[in-house]
Amino acid sequence: MRTNSLAFRLFATAAAWVLLVLPVAGMIIYSLYREEVENSYDRRIGVLLTVILSDSIDHGDSEPGAPKDVGEPLFEITHSGWYWQIKPLDGRPGKLLLSRSLADERIPLPSEAKVEPNDREVRWATLAGPLEQTVRVAETIYVFGEGQSAQRYSVAVAAALEEVENSLLSFRTRLGLALALAGIGLLAVNLFQIRFGLLPLQQVEKGLSAIRSGEAGRLDAALPQEIVPLQQELNALLKSNQDIVERARTHVGNLAHALKTPLAVIVNEARDDSSSFARKVSEQAEIMGTQISLYLDRARMAARIGVIGRVTEVRPVGESLIRALERIYQDRQLSYIMDCPAGTRFQGERQDLEEMLGNLLDNASKWARSKVMLSVAPVAGDPANGALAALEIRVEDDGPGLTEAQLGDPIIRGRRLDETKPGSGLGHSIVADLAHSYSGRLELCRAEIGGLSVRLTLPLAS
Amino acid sequence: MRVLVLEDDRDLNRQLVAALTDAGYAVDAAFDGEEGFFLGETEPYDVVILDTGLPKIDGISVLEQWRRAGRNMPVIILTARDRWSDKVAGMDAGADDYVAKPFHMEELLARIRAQVRRASGHARSDIECGPLRLDTKTARVTLDGQPVKLTSHEYRLLAYLMHHNDRIVSRTELVEHLYEQDFDRDSNTIEVFIGRLRKKIPPDMIKTIRGLGYRLSEGDAN
Repeated sequence: MRTNSLAFRLFATAAAWVLLVLPVAGMIIYSLYREEVENSYDRRIGVLLTVILSDSIDHGDSEPGAPKDVGEPLFEITHSGWYWQIKPLDGRPGKLLLSRSLADERIPLPSEAKVEPNDREVRWATLAGPLEQTVRVAETIYVFGEGQSAQRYSVAVAAALEEVENSLLSFRTRLGLALALAGIGLLAVNLFQIRFGLLPLQQVEKGLSAIRSGEAGRLDAALPQEIVPLQQELNALLKSNQDIVERARTHVGNLAHALKTPLAVIVNEARDDSSSFARKVSEQAEIMGTQISLYLDRARMAARIGVIGRVTEVRPVGESLIRALERIYQDRQLSYIMDCPAGTRFQGERQDLEEMLGNLLDNASKWARSKVMLSVAPVAGDPANGALAALEIRVEDDGPGLTEAQLGDPIIRGRRLDETKPGSGLGHSIVADLAHSYSGRLELCRAEIGGLSVRLTLPLAS
Repeated sequence: MRVLVLEDDRDLNRQLVAALTDAGYAVDAAFDGEEGFFLGETEPYDVVILDTGLPKIDGISVLEQWRRAGRNMPVIILTARDRWSDKVAGMDAGADDYVAKPFHMEELLARIRAQVRRASGHARSDIECGPLRLDTKTARVTLDGQPVKLTSHEYRLLAYLMHHNDRIVSRTELVEHLYEQDFDRDSNTIEVFIGRLRKKIPPDMIKTIRGLGYRLSEGDAN
């Protein structure tokens, strides 16, 4: 999950919330529980103090008596953690009474620790007690006897806090465990929710990649209501983009028509005149013609760049071109042989493929003695330099071919390798330019059947 | 041979008519699709030069309508739209050849000659008939190797007969294929020119088939 993603944003927000809320909730629950447990412990201690005090008073007024029935067996077990103690104060002699559980120990007294009594004359304190136990002590001071024999006694009940702490610790552990499980559960649900909720975006991505690869012209997936406006806008954008390209192409074509007819008139007019002026006009008009073709081709190519890719089936294009060429070169009795597996597709515009194949086949037809071969085959890419699978188109003729030197020459626009056949000299360079604009390439070599072999490598549509 | 030039640009049309007339064709000119379609449907042309961007009805539609109506004369498309997609569309609509503007008049004339020859079943650019030889490239006729001097009307007539040698050609067919649309068809000029031709070539080569027309054949000379 990358940091700059919707999924990350949603997940991070949810995670932050869970991480913040669960510990706080845990702390609140724990502190409430602790308060409750401690209060109930204090209440129990308080009740025992009351029982012990009233029990000791029952023995007479002058001095305390050992409480008989406290109802807490833990007072009888040595160092059980539950203790009581009745002790004369002010350093005067008196009866010291202790619970059995205290053995030789004494309860540390809150009155000695200068703790103030509450409104019910009970002093509460948490002190270090016998055997290094921390104890909760409740102490009240009662005066036994009257007059001279009046004696202040401290009546105290202590309970080790270990018991409470243990219970709190176990609660804390279980609470933490439960909350952690809840947190993990919440995050998991959240993660699923994000994946599930963002699933349509993956559909959009697939749709867009299909458009880019030319398999689709628009985004047609059934998308959720929230994305439908986006889908509509996107389709409208694609449509308008296609319209703009179509318009640009139409204008370019119109410009060609508008310029070429007057140019034809000028060329023909100048040809009928043998003056040097006419020769100049004729020469310049030819240059204009070449320039117009050059820039029209460039404009067509530029109009295509950045346009959503299209896919063209190669076979029908080859068939229709051969049909047209058979007619154009009817007198030559050429045989055209096409080897193109059905379903082979070129990633690009039909018009461009027609232009490339048309020029190559036309050129081959001009030179061929008896046959022209068109073979189309997908070839595997070279994984070493990361090349993708490509479409290899080979056009061969059995004509005179080119010399080794000519084969080595780069293809230059307007330069004709042989001036004896009519043509503008633009054929191969147009093909080379077009192939280049598709990141393809054009190579000339000697054909097995004798003449020129032109190999054109183009992107293959998956 | 009769040619229809269907081109909306006045200057180019004029140039084409002039060049074709010079080359010995009877030429009709039309400037829009409607007029051109009508002419092509009613007159027997040997070749049509067709521009694709025509007013009223575009060239491709005109061509398709002709072909639907069963008119199968050779049609050469002359257009500025030189992409192969345009060419394929033109050829699929029924064109026989395709010339892109700007063009060289010589090339267009060569293509016209090729179409005429093809339509009359001759594979080579020179047509022979006994001692007569017609070089369609140079528009010259030789008899036993010696040039025959012909006026342009005589040439048109002889060239037509040579393209269709050994076949009876009616007077009406000759008039339709040798003269422009506004020619007075009731005149007896054909007879006059046949008479003149018979004086320049072995006279029995052109036979009059009574009630049917004329036939050019190698004759009894050989």
